[in-house]
Amino acid sequence: MLAYIVRRLLIAVPTILLLIVASFFLMHFAPGGPFTSERPLPPAVLANIEARYGLDQPLWKQLWDYLYNIVVHFDFGPSFKFKDRDVNDIIAQGFPISLTYGSLSFLVATTVGVSLGIAAAIKHNSWIDYLAVGLGIAAQALPNFIMGPILILTFTLWLGWLPGGGWNGGQWPYLIMPVIALATSYMGSIARITRSSMLEVLNSNFIRTARAKGLPTRTVIWRHALKPTLLPVVSYLGPVFVYVLTGSVFVDIYFSTGGLGQAYVGSALSRDYAVLLGVTILYGVLTVLVNLLTDLAYAWFDPKIRY
Amino acid sequence: MSLFSIKDLSVQFNTADGVVEAVKGISFDINPGECLGIVGESGSGKSQTFMAAMGLLPPAGLATGSALLNGQEILNLPVNKLNQIRGDDVGMIFQDPLTALTPHLRIGQQMREVLQVHEGLQGSAARARCLEWLERVRIPEAKRRLDQYPHELSGGMRQRVMIAMSMLCNPKLLIADEPTTALDVTVQADILDLMVRLQKDEGTAIALITHDMGVVARMCDRVQVMRLGQFVEAGETREIFRAPKHDYTKTLLAAMPRIDAGDAPKALEKVDEPLLKVDDVKVHFPIHVSGGLFGHKVPLKAVDGVSFDIRKGETLGVVGESGCGKSTLARAVLQLIEPSAGNVSWLGHPIVGLRRAELNKYRKDLQIVFQDPLASLDPRMTISASIAEPLKTYRPDLTERERKKLVAEMMERVGLKANMINRYPHELSGGQNQRVGIARAMINKPKLIICDEAVSALDVSIQAQIVELLRELQQEFGLSMIFISHDLSVVRAVSNRIMVLYLGRIVELGDGEVICSDPIHPYTKSLISAVPIPDPDVERSRTRLKLPGELPSPMDPKAALRFLPSRLAAGENDYVPQLSEVKPNHFVAEHDPLEAIMAKA
Repeated sequence: MLAYIVRRLLIAVPTILLLIVASFFLMHFAPGGPFTSERPLPPAVLANIEARYGLDQPLWKQLWDYLYNIVVHFDFGPSFKFKDRDVNDIIAQGFPISLTYGSLSFLVATTVGVSLGIAAAIKHNSWIDYLAVGLGIAAQALPNFIMGPILILTFTLWLGWLPGGGWNGGQWPYLIMPVIALATSYMGSIARITRSSMLEVLNSNFIRTARAKGLPTRTVIWRHALKPTLLPVVSYLGPVFVYVLTGSVFVDIYFSTGGLGQAYVGSALSRDYAVLLGVTILYGVLTVLVNLLTDLAYAWFDPKIRY
Repeated sequence: MSLFSIKDLSVQFNTADGVVEAVKGISFDINPGECLGIVGESGSGKSQTFMAAMGLLPPAGLATGSALLNGQEILNLPVNKLNQIRGDDVGMIFQDPLTALTPHLRIGQQMREVLQVHEGLQGSAARARCLEWLERVRIPEAKRRLDQYPHELSGGMRQRVMIAMSMLCNPKLLIADEPTTALDVTVQADILDLMVRLQKDEGTAIALITHDMGVVARMCDRVQVMRLGQFVEAGETREIFRAPKHDYTKTLLAAMPRIDAGDAPKALEKVDEPLLKVDDVKVHFPIHVSGGLFGHKVPLKAVDGVSFDIRKGETLGVVGESGCGKSTLARAVLQLIEPSAGNVSWLGHPIVGLRRAELNKYRKDLQIVFQDPLASLDPRMTISASIAEPLKTYRPDLTERERKKLVAEMMERVGLKANMINRYPHELSGGQNQRVGIARAMINKPKLIICDEAVSALDVSIQAQIVELLRELQQEFGLSMIFISHDLSVVRAVSNRIMVLYLGRIVELGDGEVICSDPIHPYTKSLISAVPIPDPDVERSRTRLKLPGELPSPMDPKAALRFLPSRLAAGENDYVPQLSEVKPNHFVAEHDPLEAIMAKA
């Protein structure tokens, strides 16, 4: 197991490196640059600024310096757009926010989704099943950029219960809507996957054996059926986890939460090379780690899997 | 008073196509301590009868009538009442031991929960009882098994665990639903022996649901023959075998191939050039094993140096237990997987390592019929399209009309009705689909057909028809066949010569009748003696040669020398047993005397 983890982390190093190099070149090949604007700067000024950020150097030299600073100083460089702020600051400010409402969304989506799916499967073809399936499909059809406005219209403008945006250090009234908006569609998918997986498991031979042994229904469900049911759910949860952890640009825009999602998209639009690369690397590292965690989780759900 | 009594039991299923009546008002009794056989083919309702009685029907199923256990009505009881009976008064074991145990719970956990629920027994007392039963079903290293997961045990061991688990609370009735169908023949014999002993020692009545007349002959006191949801005949086992009254019972008995029938096809005269020559073929798969930072690979020797040849019109039977490399050998011969070493030549031309285009020229003459008829046909192609497909490859000159004519002729030849041309595989029965598979293989008039477990998934009566069809086709087209099966009785019925494989190597090769009636190698002897014979008198008076130990894993380096303990003792773990011709055309692998092998136990 330990050897497996070490091996996976070793493989992660070239993966991340490849990610950096590919993103770096893609970014520079995109037309425009951080200092192109509608009113072009005088050439002398532009050359001056570019020289300050090292953009006049050949590409390979820029890449080398970038990597060197990361490895030696853990410095992802200054932002090209916001003066006096560097990438480390921007991530340190935005990521905790995204992390907070993201992990809460993940928790909500998983618990509600799995419970809904299990209830539907146990009461197959009953009103509970139909209700759960209906809810699941409705939720799946509501991505966060649709849920956002709906929630604000209902709870802020109409009922006046919740503040329409802001973060305020993550107090719960400010958290509720972003969390629900982000969680809803994932919850729908999780419910659907859980339901079909549970139905399949309930039809399997070992469940028949458990019943033939005279075990009470709740033992059959919780002890025998649950773990195998969750196996396909876990493989879906991995990517979802990365996605919600890094926040969502729509949630950040609708609810002015100030998370990383907005900074990410903003940096791509304004060619803020340093911020864009920094956040991409963060996403890359998270993906690698979560994938590893998912694979380790498999071993807990299925004893046949051993590392 | 009878222990278990079924009266007018009917089972219906509500399906999308309307109500299907699976069991149509049957009645029978089981007396304390007896073994009742319920015999029938797939779809006869034999399993559903007992599932209904135990409340294990799927939600769409509806049971009516009466099921009395010790005079108490149990049919359609609420689940909490049924749960007091299931696992306590009535134990159940099922067909497929590989999927019947919960994969993520340890053997001990799964056994203990039975005691917990029914007797409130916990902790070390429960553990002791589980251990006691594992030892009674003769599981080697019983103590270690308690903490193992099901996938760490072999199929035979898992079925023993199932039996031990269902016997924990000393049930009065054990329902065994095809308990040995998925098992190898020697493992089957072990499990049956075990059940006989339990019936005797514990006085447990057994309801044995099976399609295999040989198993019935060995086990049952009385038999109920079931067909299409009804009983067609019932009586004492000996009576039924001696003088079956109903036509269906007669067909069933006649369809069962017998290993002791003594009418295996004769060996062919030696003719000049063999059609196919297989020379020292090896197939090794690299298997990843953990250890160290990056693990390493060890070869799994699926086929390890097999040589044989086949003459025109000859049938070579290939037998062996699971993991012996039968199917891998077939695929290597056809170059569906490339052999790691060795040579295969067709009419003198080597075909190993050819490029795809060159190989395709030979493929016309070399065809294969697979085990699972439904899965081996493209579900989105009509059966006539499947049959016609090889014609498009090898006879591109044919017009659409000519092709249709050839397909229609071939369909008629294999016994498929002309109006079936536009059917899809899922609309046909298993037997019909296998006829499609044969028609597809035969359409280009090949010279050699490999039947890889081609009749194993079929009911006995259908199996007999397909075997007959293959024989006729062989006569008609002068076809050669490699007939691979785990079922020795069927192989004997069709093969001129039989080759016995053990862990990727030949242990014995000779004329069919000689192998079955006068085997020399201890492994062959144990295989033959384990095959059940559908005749109660013969079957019960036979003695079995039981070799020590479980069926070994191909990954076990010492398993290859199971029959040469002297070499193992000498530390020659890599020794390869040599094949020698003990009598004309009868090859046997080197082995120690039987006593030395038996002494190892």
